Amino acid sequence: MMILVTGGSKCGKSHYAESLFEQYTDSKYYIATMQPYGEEAHAAIFRHRKMRAEKHFQTVEQYTDIDRADVPEGGAALLECMGNLLANEMFCGDAIQDCADKITADILCLHKRLQLLVIVTNQVGSDGFRYEKGTSAYIAALGKINQALAAYADSVVECVYGIPLVLKG
Amino acid sequence: MILITGGAFQGKTAYTEAHFHYEITDGASCDLATIRHAQILNRYHETVRRLMAENMDAEAFTRNICAENPNCIVLIDEVGSGIVPMEKQERIWRESVGRCGCILAQHAHTVIRCICGIPVAIKGDLP
Repeated sequence: MMILVTGGSKCGKSHYAESLFEQYTDSKYYIATMQPYGEEAHAAIFRHRKMRAEKHFQTVEQYTDIDRADVPEGGAALLECMGNLLANEMFCGDAIQDCADKITADILCLHKRLQLLVIVTNQVGSDGFRYEKGTSAYIAALGKINQALAAYADSVVECVYGIPLVLKG
Repeated sequence: MILITGGAFQGKTAYTEAHFHYEITDGASCDLATIRHAQILNRYHETVRRLMAENMDAEAFTRNICAENPNCIVLIDEVGSGIVPMEKQERIWRESVGRCGCILAQHAHTVIRCICGIPVAIKGDLP
């Protein structure tokens, strides 16, 4: 089962995504994609880890190549978030990497061995700005990944101020 | 008229190509005179930018399309969900796109919003 959760910034996506795991008591994993740069990030990660431990999630850090995440066969995992994962893969070298299809393939590969995969993604293309090349390519790639995953997912949900709107499933 | 909207890269064009088999006119590059006959008019937010560059009244132009080409399928990006742009022309453009979108939506019997490639009818029903 794959569920894609999308929405703008701070719209309650994470909270909703976590709520989908209430029926799971063990083998519940949180795949974190944010790379810890600087003190603030470290503090935030520590806080989040503690919060998730209370909810019985085991945190697994995987910044790129998400299919390699250390989650056992048949487990349930929450992947957060697609925006970070894409940035990590896209801007890892000197040149911008064309990685949308690679990331989609990695996720489908990860999904195959799991019982449940919930993916938190972002909506970033509704501000009308004309960005420089790197950012435009990032917005296009995220849109492409979201469309591919939405086509594949059993359910797609958009959160608006904490309210889940079911778009599919 | 059918209006198809949503943020950038949400699958609007792919949805339109899959469901409506008419010729697509690119509002970013077409001859402005052809718009009144267009069956599917893509990227209307870019048409608005062109109208502004020509010092034309985009809202009046939009009302004319609604009157002269009432069966047109129009695609327009949602562009108003960010910070107000610093640059004046960008601010005027964004506001104009918003107003033109409202005019089109008012005349459309069906308005579809695409998100992650999924069409959601926000006015009328999905065709």
